[in-house]
Amino acid sequence: MAISRRDAIKFSGLAAIAATTVSVHADSNGATTASKRVLLSPAPVPAAKGKRVVIVGGGPSGLTIAKYIKKGNPKVDVVLIDKRPVFMSGFISNLVVTGVLPLDFITHDFLEGARNGNYNFLQATVYDIDRTSKRVYTNEGSLKYDVLVLAPGIDYDYSKWSKGDIELENTLRTKFPGGFIPGSETLSLKSKIENLEDGSVFVQTVPGGNYRCLPGPYERSCLIADYMKRNKIKGKVIVLDENPNITIKADGFQSAFNKLYKDYITYMPSTNITSIDPHNQKITTELGEVINFTDAALYSRIRGNKLLEIAGVSKDSTFNKGEANIDPFTYQVIGDKNVFCAGDARPMGFSKSGNTANTEGKIVAANIVKYLNGENLSRANWKSPLTVCYSAVECDPLRAISVHAEYSYDDAKKSFGFANAGTMEKWEGAEGLAGGKGLKEWGNGLYRDLFA
Amino acid sequence: MDRRNFLKVIGGVTVIAVNPSLICGNLYAADGLLYAAYEKAQLVDESGKPIKASSLEKEVTYIFNYPYASTPCMLIDLPESTNQNIKLKSEMGEEYVWKSGVGKDRTIVAYSAICSHQLTHPTRNDSFIQYVPKTKPTMAYSSSGVIVCSSHLSAYDAKAGAKVLSGPASQPLASIVLEHASDDTLWVVGILGSDKFQDYFKAFKPEFKQFYNGTAEAKKLVSISAKTVKLTQYSKELIQY
Repeated sequence: MAISRRDAIKFSGLAAIAATTVSVHADSNGATTASKRVLLSPAPVPAAKGKRVVIVGGGPSGLTIAKYIKKGNPKVDVVLIDKRPVFMSGFISNLVVTGVLPLDFITHDFLEGARNGNYNFLQATVYDIDRTSKRVYTNEGSLKYDVLVLAPGIDYDYSKWSKGDIELENTLRTKFPGGFIPGSETLSLKSKIENLEDGSVFVQTVPGGNYRCLPGPYERSCLIADYMKRNKIKGKVIVLDENPNITIKADGFQSAFNKLYKDYITYMPSTNITSIDPHNQKITTELGEVINFTDAALYSRIRGNKLLEIAGVSKDSTFNKGEANIDPFTYQVIGDKNVFCAGDARPMGFSKSGNTANTEGKIVAANIVKYLNGENLSRANWKSPLTVCYSAVECDPLRAISVHAEYSYDDAKKSFGFANAGTMEKWEGAEGLAGGKGLKEWGNGLYRDLFA
Repeated sequence: MDRRNFLKVIGGVTVIAVNPSLICGNLYAADGLLYAAYEKAQLVDESGKPIKASSLEKEVTYIFNYPYASTPCMLIDLPESTNQNIKLKSEMGEEYVWKSGVGKDRTIVAYSAICSHQLTHPTRNDSFIQYVPKTKPTMAYSSSGVIVCSSHLSAYDAKAGAKVLSGPASQPLASIVLEHASDDTLWVVGILGSDKFQDYFKAFKPEFKQFYNGTAEAKKLVSISAKTVKLTQYSKELIQY
């Protein structure tokens, strides 16, 4: 395991809670008796009535897996754990931060999902996983699993920019959040956009690697420019893209940049940022360019969520650091078939999107049901997830472009590539308007699948 | 609990489940498990006149609500005869057989218009789901003449029991069991396959308030006749790509 239980307890806030009690005794493990009592007590969920699957992470992946395991076999006991009290989606959020749709649209109720899906929801923070005793430790107590699913999603990897400077990283996270981990970042971004005024220069970065929501930064740039246009704000959006070209739906975004937002968007491909001065709000690039900005969404590279490290199941992938060390066909951890990893923490080069995680979740859930029935999983159980995603390019009326794709495995290259892919990138005519309608119904369909 | 009992308990209505081979329906389930009979209703036009099978326009999507006041179904007269005895599977792995379309040339089919993927369906405002005629292209599948839900691009085979052809849907659309009478009128008698009605009733309560004065009205069973109109009349806007 990457870190010991002792370290985990030290880092957890509970040690601090324990320290406030009158008598504090550190035992041989370093934990105080008070903290130990809480941490080792059973988590407040009903006793398992059948084989228990514990799922950590209630994003589109974990929510789908929880619901569809119960659908596949109602006798399996499912506990979904998430540290957040409320669900907020990343998908559709660019339309919320720019005031087109209300916060309600992307905000949902974990308890509704648990009620309708007949599984247990535990709002708790996981701080350790012991795969030998098959036990998950949370701040609400611990629980045993027969099968564990880790769907913790991503974290940001600021190392390219911060080079280990924690103060810089923390300042960037606080002042200019990337806005691709929903929650406070979404709200920050919303207020940043509401505060735009004449002379504003907003920087949106696009990271390298297989980052979450490929079209997201371009869509957001369009929508911020559209916000400026609608509100008659004389401002600029500067898109600093680490990639040599727009990474997806390039024709659609490029033509939107040119035709709709010529006076608003400056697109700078192949831009490697060498330094960021968050106080003077200045970015320097490899080519010596200096970009002054008034506000920004600095989307750094991403990595697998650190929970994978805690569980000792992480490995650097071709694309990102610390992603899940799994068999790409069965989603089972190499060397521990009782642990599955899915969603954006997967190392395969699939599009990291809610829709991909949702379609993948159904496949993973079906395989877990089979595995619990004693079936051995293999490549024969693999099915491609589907990526269908819409991006808005203009708000009034709403116009959107889209992409849809499956994946196939190339045995020679030992990697996955797109298969049967298609795009709809003509945002101007009736197609773009239909796409706009489609985008909302696409989102609502996903919420229905996750919660209703 | 099997589906038959489930419906009895949940619906609070009497659903008579009989092996469809015992009735004169044109579709049947292999073991009757995925078949539910509802009150037989006649398909009528807007003015209440019975619809004649021979008067249907080819490749046009018609909509009627059945077996509940709020559950939309598609009626389509296809350009060619349907396939026969199609083996289908629900997402839970239950198998059933869709026999054929009805009418003189077995070209007329009816399916639930609630997408089996994420419940997208026609409303008075818009529809993302419809039959795409042979001459119109669709992004969802390599050829047309199929039913497409443009929300997440699922394509269903209209001439083969709405079997999934492509996209994220994991089971066919539920089939509406049609009867074609000797006077050329059309009747609906039941549902074959896995319907999504209970999920639908859970998911769309605000919509039922808006369009049906609430869930109770939305859940009323259709009786005697089902008004059948073109999708273009049913929904203000059609979205398809």
